[in-house]
Amino acid sequence: MSISKNNLILYVGILIFGIAAPFLFPAFKVQLSILCVLIVLATTWNIQGGEMGYNSFGNILFYGLGMYLCASVQVGMFFPLAEWTESGGEKTFVHTPAQFFQGMAVGLVVAAVVPTIVAGLIGYSILGLRGHYFAICTLGLGVAAGEISGGIEIIGAGQGFTTPPFPDVGSLDSRGEFFYFLSFFVLVLTFIAVRGIYSTRFKLILNAIRDNEDKAEAMGIETMKYKIVGWMISAFFCGLAGGIMGGLVGYIDSTDVAFDGREMGVFMVLMAILGGKGTLWGPIIGATVFHIFKEGFWTFFLGWQYVALGVLIVVIVIYFPEGIMGWLREKYPERFGEIVDEKDRKAQVELK
Amino acid sequence: MKLNKIILSFISALAILFSTSVVSLAKVVGDKIVLGAAISLTGKYSSNGVHTQNGYNMAVDRINSMGGVKVGGKTYKFDIIYYDDESNPKRAAQLAERLISQDGVEFMLGPYSSGLTKAIAPVTEKYGVPMVEANGASRSLFTKGYKYLFAVLAPANLYLDVAIDLAVEKNNGKGVTVAMAFEQDAFSQDVRLGVLDAIKRTGSKKVIDDKLPKELNDMAATLVKVKQMKPDVLVVSGHTKGALTAIRQISEMKVDVPMLAMTHCDAAKLSKQHGKNSQYALCASQWHKTLTYKDKFFKDGMTYDADFTKEFGYAPPYQAAESSAALLVFKDAFERANSFDQKKVRDALAATNMQTFYGNIKFAEGGQNVDKPMVLFQVMCDDAGKCENKVVAPTKWASAKLIHPIPSWSKR
Repeated sequence: MSISKNNLILYVGILIFGIAAPFLFPAFKVQLSILCVLIVLATTWNIQGGEMGYNSFGNILFYGLGMYLCASVQVGMFFPLAEWTESGGEKTFVHTPAQFFQGMAVGLVVAAVVPTIVAGLIGYSILGLRGHYFAICTLGLGVAAGEISGGIEIIGAGQGFTTPPFPDVGSLDSRGEFFYFLSFFVLVLTFIAVRGIYSTRFKLILNAIRDNEDKAEAMGIETMKYKIVGWMISAFFCGLAGGIMGGLVGYIDSTDVAFDGREMGVFMVLMAILGGKGTLWGPIIGATVFHIFKEGFWTFFLGWQYVALGVLIVVIVIYFPEGIMGWLREKYPERFGEIVDEKDRKAQVELK
Repeated sequence: MKLNKIILSFISALAILFSTSVVSLAKVVGDKIVLGAAISLTGKYSSNGVHTQNGYNMAVDRINSMGGVKVGGKTYKFDIIYYDDESNPKRAAQLAERLISQDGVEFMLGPYSSGLTKAIAPVTEKYGVPMVEANGASRSLFTKGYKYLFAVLAPANLYLDVAIDLAVEKNNGKGVTVAMAFEQDAFSQDVRLGVLDAIKRTGSKKVIDDKLPKELNDMAATLVKVKQMKPDVLVVSGHTKGALTAIRQISEMKVDVPMLAMTHCDAAKLSKQHGKNSQYALCASQWHKTLTYKDKFFKDGMTYDADFTKEFGYAPPYQAAESSAALLVFKDAFERANSFDQKKVRDALAATNMQTFYGNIKFAEGGQNVDKPMVLFQVMCDDAGKCENKVVAPTKWASAKLIHPIPSWSKR
């Protein structure tokens, strides 16, 4: 992976902005952390939906799994999990700072690894489905996971799961800073990984699967293998994002927070499409724009925010069908390193 | 690459946007005490969210028009910043954070439902923001050691255990068979635990124990089982939708059961929406207009009921009444603390011991109100089909006698 000088400036600029952000806008730490999580979700969804042409609604499964796993490990390492989640329980357990961070660290590792394995296993069985069948099947996965987890007593079932409260260290801002830097770190990690694989043959194979899977297979590519690996990569980062989000929200509900298919599950698709799927920067820009609009609507159109959001989506679909990146690319092709031969273009227009 | 320029200018635009949108309101602006609240204006709890908001607004107007809050010799008025949490805990936690760190709110009112309160409590606790909540009844809220959480209502496990006791009493002290159907959410599941305790205590037996989905639109499967098993008591809890679904399907399927115990009958306006079909339903309630509590702002339950109906066009369910009570508690605490220091207000709240039109309020160590028992009312209709909720238990407030067992559908 080579980085040009211009790119290096850009990356360092973003990195500095990212590190400085919580100090520049101290009141927005939570929103910024959520933005990082949203970008991670949109970027990893893009591996399936954008590059591979498999519209997955199932990535929420890994996100929710990561959330429950991280919190369970964090509690279970030090206290009996069943007593923690029991509603009528009279005991109060408090994590010491060391226990909290240790638990979080181990929890995040588990939250990343287990969904990856699950993605491998599920992927093996359902990635043979194509088109609508795959989309519907993955949609079912998320819904089923929500209902099942809502019945498991040890993780709180319908009562929900209160994650360990942040210990008393540093100032009032330390919780926000901790979660922000954690999510920003995961974002950077995701970006490096995704950019890395997009610069290899792996991406070309994913594109080949999207454009014509049968042909790709005929060319001797083991498409199944690549599809599964691609999904496992997404699952890894979705799990991490879920683990962080669980700690950030502080309360896990089976269908509304963890396996939140109708919000997060749809948003990740929407953000990638808004920004322009099948590009590296599209989902990032899409998630940022989406988040800003959403927060804005919430403040200024109280009670009507979803109507406003719906109008925004309609506008996007009509005027920017290829997403923001696609629109920019059409408008300023030369900025994307595309050379346009005016004469040739005119000739083509005349032919039509 | 020119693309970088686009992205860089995008980021700087973002930075400008963020920095210009920082608006910080202090909690006490001029003569206003600004309280924050995340309310479910949309989503599955929206009807109860609106009851909550109406309750808050009603009390704000009343307190403001009757002299406001006197702190340090100065008179202040209440003001509330609302956000819509969409009945989603994730959103509620975010909004609590936003109210506190962006809007600078230093005192909070609770949201609707236990689940959302559970999501907000860790945030208010972290910032040491006193929160008086009126709609989070789940017991687990009060066992987490929260210091800044105060609930004016009795915990969820006390909602329907009285109904089991009543059924046992009618059965000459012998245990009864109980069928249970509860929504999978924090509140309803806690009601379930209370019923389970009562079953154990009275030597009764549970024959059906179903969990219902959150968007509760169908419980036919449970009712088919009820028809087969013929239990003595059927207990259903699932917020407003649960109550409506239960009555609709019980009447459609003509399910005969001697006792039907529910929650949220008044919030669902059952007697209005389903008329005679809802007759004989036994409902747990935090408040009823005929209770004889009094205060100087709303006088008593009957007056509150009349004033509320005049203002909002429907009779107040207990969700509205308890929400109004939350503001009375805040006013009382501010005046006793005689300060806006969060710690002092918190201590004043903890020492609350007062009577409101809604009931006595006194907080236990965990923050729950221990001075106000639950009541049970039964939907009773006259021959013309006009239905009314009448208190049947506890006997101290009973205005009618419990009709038991419920006559079968063929005789109605």
